[in-house]
Amino acid sequence: MSEADLILVIVVVTALAFDFTNGFHDTANVVATSISTRAMSPRVAVGFAAVLNFAGAFISLEVAATVANDVVDPTAIASNTVLFAGLVGAIAWNLATWYFGLPSSSSHALIGGIVGATLVAAGTDAVLGDGILAKVLIPALIAPVLAFIVGAVAIVCCYRIVGRQRPGPVTRGFRYGQVVSGGLLALAHGTNDAQKTMGVITLALIINGNLSADSFEVPTWVVVSAASAIALGTYSGGWRIIRTMGSRIIKMDAAQGFSAQGAGAAVILASSHFGFPLSTTHVISGGVMGAGAGKRVSAVRWGVAGNMVVAWILTLPAAALIGGLAYLVTDLFPGAVGPILLAALGLILVAIAVARRLRAAVPAPTG
Amino acid sequence: MTLATVIDTTALWQTVVFAFVAGVGTTIAFSFSILGFTRFAEANRNERGGQAAVFAGLALLGLLATAAAIAFGVIVMTGK
Repeated sequence: MSEADLILVIVVVTALAFDFTNGFHDTANVVATSISTRAMSPRVAVGFAAVLNFAGAFISLEVAATVANDVVDPTAIASNTVLFAGLVGAIAWNLATWYFGLPSSSSHALIGGIVGATLVAAGTDAVLGDGILAKVLIPALIAPVLAFIVGAVAIVCCYRIVGRQRPGPVTRGFRYGQVVSGGLLALAHGTNDAQKTMGVITLALIINGNLSADSFEVPTWVVVSAASAIALGTYSGGWRIIRTMGSRIIKMDAAQGFSAQGAGAAVILASSHFGFPLSTTHVISGGVMGAGAGKRVSAVRWGVAGNMVVAWILTLPAAALIGGLAYLVTDLFPGAVGPILLAALGLILVAIAVARRLRAAVPAPTG
Repeated sequence: MTLATVIDTTALWQTVVFAFVAGVGTTIAFSFSILGFTRFAEANRNERGGQAAVFAGLALLGLLATAAAIAFGVIVMTGK
């Protein structure tokens, strides 16, 4: 095995590890609404979301194409060490926000990390500013606002239709509905988020010369492994963030949960269709806040929502900074030594963070 | 170079319109089905057969519209 192939293997493993943390970190957002309204028990909701995340990864490749072709120029990157450093930036930021219980965006962390490492390694010419603006930044601004509006309008319409009925049967009905809307949201999440990892691995294969940069093609093993990693990450949970999303932003009834999930699923699926790599965290948060504000503006805990906005604003530059620094560190060593050392150091730091977090852990909800 | 030359405004608009119609439309359709089921149960309890049939129809129509919207969305996604 050549040194370049060894770095490729490290990048693929790291990308799948990122996919796992993405599932672990983000999918809590997907199931929180169903859990908060008691439409599903936490364990059933997480298992259900894992299965649908896996299925969702197979239904489109538009987002993977965007990540592979429209963020950085594959022909300008000399080595996969750059992608490795970008992934380190994304994973480090994901774990830091997980540690502090902030639902920030894994997707923006990934793109920020890769852009930061590419900037340091290959300069500004290798970063595709137009693609990032058109396919990442503009949709990143529009999507949560759109989800907010859809969630708010949907809940207002819903209350107009069923508002005078007895609450018991209405709540039961929307709880059944949430099984479907929650499933759709999980499917949408798998579609958009698993594809980002597929895009990174495809990009690595192009840089290594295994695939052509001219014709975009994602190998089947890449789709299956990315789908499996995000599904496993989802199943592993992320109880702290479930708590933040499910109850600390807003206390919801089942109709609000249905509207929020419907808004989130519609925005993510529509965006995935056009290849926009969205943050599912941003979108579902927008939907949840919209469904809350549509009922009563003061019902939304705007302080918690404000903390999330701060995390979102910080995500791209922070992940880019870590990605850039990670590249500088790996570049100090020859060949594959840098990635191996950094991966080993990363594993130790992750183990320490997880052990500390578990010691002070919030017990997993039961049921 | 203007912003409009970089951004695919058609795709963005289509995303906004599709997401709005799908998100709000599905919630409205499902709300009508719940209204139908709730009123059907009441009418049935009070032995008002005609009214019960109308609300059962509304409930089924709402459910069918919801299912059709979801199926359409998934087919469009997988069709590309």
